[in-house]
Amino acid sequence: MQIELGHYLALSSVIFGLGAVGFLVRRNVLVQLMSIELMLNSVNLMLIACNRFLPNNHAGQVFAFFVIAVAAAEASVGLAIVISLFRLKKTVHSDQADSLRH
Amino acid sequence: MAEKALLGIVLFPLLGAIAIGLFGRKAGRDAVQTIAVLSVAASFLLALVAFGELLRLRLSEHKELAALSFTAYDWFTLTWNQRAIGVPVRFVMDALSGVMTLVITGIGLLIHIYSTGYMSEEPSYARFFAYLNLFTASMLILVLGSNLPLMFVGWEGVGLCSYLLIGFWYENTSYAAAGRKAFVVNRIGDFGVLLGMLLLAVATNSFEFNAINAVAEQRPSVFTAAFSLGPRGMPYWVVPGISLGTVATLLLFLGCTGKSAQLPLYVWLPDAMAGPTPVSALIHAATMVTAGVYLICRLSPVFALAPATMALITTLGALTALLGASVGLVQTQLKKILAYSTVSQLGFMFAAVGCGAFAAGFMHVYTHAFFKACLFLGAGSVMHAVGAHGDADIRQLGGLRRYMPVTRATFLVSCCAIAGVPLFSGFFSKDEILVGVLSAQGYFSFAPWLAPAVFAALVLAATMTAFYMFRLYFLTFSGAYRGGPVHYDHYDHDDHDGHQHAAHEPHESPASITVPLVILGIGAVFAGYVWVGIAHFEPWVSWLDPALGSIGGEHPHNAVYIALACGLAAAAVGIGLATQFYFRPSEAPARLATQFRGLHRLLLDAWRVDRLYDSTILAASRFLARAANVFDVYVIDVLTTVLPTQIVRAVAFLFTRMQTGLVHAYGAVMAFGLLALVVHFVVPHGDPEIVGEPEGMKVELAASAGLGYEYRWDFDSDGTFDTAWSGDRSATRDFSDADFVRFAVVFEGASYGAHPRTLTVAPKDSVAVSGSALTRALTSAEISADEFGPGWQHGEDNRLPQISSDQDGLLITPRGARVRKNGTMQASEKPVRVARGESVTIGFSRLTVTGYARPRVQVRNGFGIERTQSVGVVVPKVTRRLTAQVAAARAGVP
Amino acid sequence: MSTAGIVLFFVFGSLALASAVGTIALPSPIRAAMSLLAHIVSLSGLFLLLHAHLLAALQVLVYAGAVVVLFIFVIMLIGPVPAPPHGERGRLIKACSGATMLAVSLLLAYSLLPVKAPLESLGSCTTAEGAECDQFGGVLAFSKSLFVGAMVPFELIAVLLTVAVVGAVAVARGRTAAESRVLSMKLHEKGKESVAEEAREHALATKLTVPPPPERGTLT
Repeated sequence: MQIELGHYLALSSVIFGLGAVGFLVRRNVLVQLMSIELMLNSVNLMLIACNRFLPNNHAGQVFAFFVIAVAAAEASVGLAIVISLFRLKKTVHSDQADSLRH
Repeated sequence: MAEKALLGIVLFPLLGAIAIGLFGRKAGRDAVQTIAVLSVAASFLLALVAFGELLRLRLSEHKELAALSFTAYDWFTLTWNQRAIGVPVRFVMDALSGVMTLVITGIGLLIHIYSTGYMSEEPSYARFFAYLNLFTASMLILVLGSNLPLMFVGWEGVGLCSYLLIGFWYENTSYAAAGRKAFVVNRIGDFGVLLGMLLLAVATNSFEFNAINAVAEQRPSVFTAAFSLGPRGMPYWVVPGISLGTVATLLLFLGCTGKSAQLPLYVWLPDAMAGPTPVSALIHAATMVTAGVYLICRLSPVFALAPATMALITTLGALTALLGASVGLVQTQLKKILAYSTVSQLGFMFAAVGCGAFAAGFMHVYTHAFFKACLFLGAGSVMHAVGAHGDADIRQLGGLRRYMPVTRATFLVSCCAIAGVPLFSGFFSKDEILVGVLSAQGYFSFAPWLAPAVFAALVLAATMTAFYMFRLYFLTFSGAYRGGPVHYDHYDHDDHDGHQHAAHEPHESPASITVPLVILGIGAVFAGYVWVGIAHFEPWVSWLDPALGSIGGEHPHNAVYIALACGLAAAAVGIGLATQFYFRPSEAPARLATQFRGLHRLLLDAWRVDRLYDSTILAASRFLARAANVFDVYVIDVLTTVLPTQIVRAVAFLFTRMQTGLVHAYGAVMAFGLLALVVHFVVPHGDPEIVGEPEGMKVELAASAGLGYEYRWDFDSDGTFDTAWSGDRSATRDFSDADFVRFAVVFEGASYGAHPRTLTVAPKDSVAVSGSALTRALTSAEISADEFGPGWQHGEDNRLPQISSDQDGLLITPRGARVRKNGTMQASEKPVRVARGESVTIGFSRLTVTGYARPRVQVRNGFGIERTQSVGVVVPKVTRRLTAQVAAARAGVP
Repeated sequence: MSTAGIVLFFVFGSLALASAVGTIALPSPIRAAMSLLAHIVSLSGLFLLLHAHLLAALQVLVYAGAVVVLFIFVIMLIGPVPAPPHGERGRLIKACSGATMLAVSLLLAYSLLPVKAPLESLGSCTTAEGAECDQFGGVLAFSKSLFVGAMVPFELIAVLLTVAVVGAVAVARGRTAAESRVLSMKLHEKGKESVAEEAREHALATKLTVPPPPERGTLT
């Protein structure tokens, strides 16, 4: 058999779904951030896979590069926020962070 | 040339009112009084010019129906039912309105001059004169208007000015209430005038007085025909025995009772004494209250054709005369006595015109203007002298003849006139009224006792009039001065001299007050001579006769003598009794009062009519107001304020509960939203619809476009698709009988505002017909019998038709309904078949049967997901009957 | 693709899946981080299979080498997390949304699986070419695309990273000792003793001393 583009896309979708599920289900903020990284990675995979099957240019890979950079920036700022949250609430449980409520 | 004077007569006071109203306060008192007096003086001069012209036309050219006419412009045109009546702004002066105009402008001028002195200390000087000028202008429009709407403008105008002037010192709530009372009571009458006016216009096709009177004289059957109500000559209700003329005149008379203070709408006049004394003199003695008499005289030919109304008029007039006189017997306030006296004298006038003596009644208007104005102005002079505010109690007056000789002389003269002392003006007019009443015996053929009864009542009232007027005179001017009024209220209105009224020693009033008094006094003496018959020359009657209608008949021969004798007797008895009781202080009045205590109280309370109205009509009105308030607070406010508020609160509560502050909740919402988006994009949307209009049996259908969509169509709903998969989203089909799945029944109802409806009926189904729209709504039937239009029933059978269907069409069993197919009436028990393309009429409605198909489209999107949707098609299209007729008419098809 | 390629795809693919499941399922955060690391490395392998050589290296360098390390630093800083006092909230919502997302993604995967695209064979570098090797996904070709074709986004990314650094520092800084003193003095003036006490406690906490051990809870 051949490994078609569909396989990569399917794999990417499943990983994306797992990342989304992790974000929605887990309560630990750090694990939620890690799930976000999963989702971003899955998108990277899809970009690079599509680029492989359309190799006229490197658009997919360049875009994936940018995604990595943005993910890194977002992770750093997100973790800084987690630290502030921990200082305030002494916990990283997202259920405790509900001050902005009705 | 003289016609243009007519415009000036009306315009000068009007412009004066506007000028004073806008600039009066800034301009100062001198300017205000100059403008006011000069405008009315100019009006009077122009009135003299016009009257002179009229005289010339009558005397030298012997034109009997001489009239001056000035048309300003076309005001509006009333159109309905292919009829149109134009209403211009036109002023006409004929004999009747000429006299009236002179009275209004002349006496008005005198009162304006009087007011400059009387109201000189009044802070709202400009406002007063603006209102007074406006009143004069409105009254002139009333009498000079040539048609009913213009007269009505003046009618309303004087009502408005009456309200403004009665409530002139509006800071006092009771005065303001008096003004309101006058206005509201007048409005009740105005309603009658409006309806009467419209009725006359519909009957005679014109609003102009001369046209209406011409119809009354030449085609009296218009007014004597029975009164009927109904549209377009299809009378719903014919009232036997009541003629159109009766109804119209009754409605107009309602207005007259309001404006001229007859029973039952006189209650505003006594309260109207809250206004300044010149107002009472002008409006409530000389001019406004006579507008009712003027209207009746103006339309006298019409009134003459309605004896029933005339009987009512004269009865009410007599009763009012009695009522006013009886109350005046015991009153103690100066102006109140004069007010009731006015009510009573108006009753005399109406009794006269009700008996067909239009000229006599109008003469009393003319003479009454002089002596009543003189009386009121004299009362004002007295009140000014003793420093009374509002009104003066005559029990505290007396002996004023020494201090105020001029006032006393004119007052005495006017009292003699009103009492009917021979050779004064009032004597002549009262005498003519009595003669006229006696002559009406033949007119009231259905109640021959009426004229004598009215005569007796009027004689009694005349006696009482003489009595209380001289009682008033003696208590005020004879004997010793009893100290003057005690000051109760705090309003310094009549205190218009700078000097102190220390011991309130009365003094004669200044010239601006006494000169008008003298002029009016002279008029009170000599005004009556216009009726003196000298060598068959009766100027008054021959002047007015062409303008007035008549009831026919003639004087019974001894009527003149009876009237003369009774009149003299009444005056003598009245004055004699008054002298007996009041010339010198006497115990008799007090003794009589205690002896007839109940009657005395009743008369003092003016027959408690106000209290009756308050407990009945006003109580009902207050109840209605409270009920409306409750409804407003508990129903309308709840529905519009409380209910939406609570709904918003509930919704807001729901939405705020969504803000939990928890990230996972928000993430969940995003996930569900994503799901909805995915569903929307994954599921294909076909949405077929009909493009444009069907042409005959050919219909074009189109589905909506989408990425990678493919379509296939099934037109005849048999399950197999008639086209193959293609990317073409539209399809055209020539529908044939085999494609139809149901019948489409287009029902064009004949009830008001009905639109054509399309019902779909499957074969073997039936259409439910219900009796009325309500049962239709309740039982969800499809057709109700009142949509068939009027007269859908066959004779007495009121069974509803049955509508069912089979393979080939609709089956209608008419039963009780008139069903026609192709113009032929169908038998009631045999079912009528209506195939596709045919139509029947039930009553006035129409039922057309066409075909109903339901083509389906299956859509497949790039994901391979398929979806089937369908749309209903009604073909062949049924055009609305009316639009078809219009189109046919346009195309020239007969 | 050669047989080895197919096998490697399945190996790396299953490893990616397994480690993704591990990241979201493992209760302890440090273990989740380790799982994430494995996932990143497996993805890097997949990139290699897809001729994205430079990106594979960058993935390991940046993600595995920096981001995951950052995660681990923070996890260590935070320490063991006590269980929430009121138990877990919103189980239903969690279950529903999780199921929804899973269903959507599986649906998506199912519909994307049959996608086929023509596969061109791409050359690979020989050692002789060295740095001038201009094949697809290599350093030279990729750099040309990046610095010539996407120069402006590149510079903007640099700006973004600078902003991120500044932002992270600003957010995570907390208060210096001087600022804490000022704050406690202000609160003391307002006479709120309890709030001042909390402020002092907060000042202590910024020094990142070891927090008191929890009464109960898991220790990792």
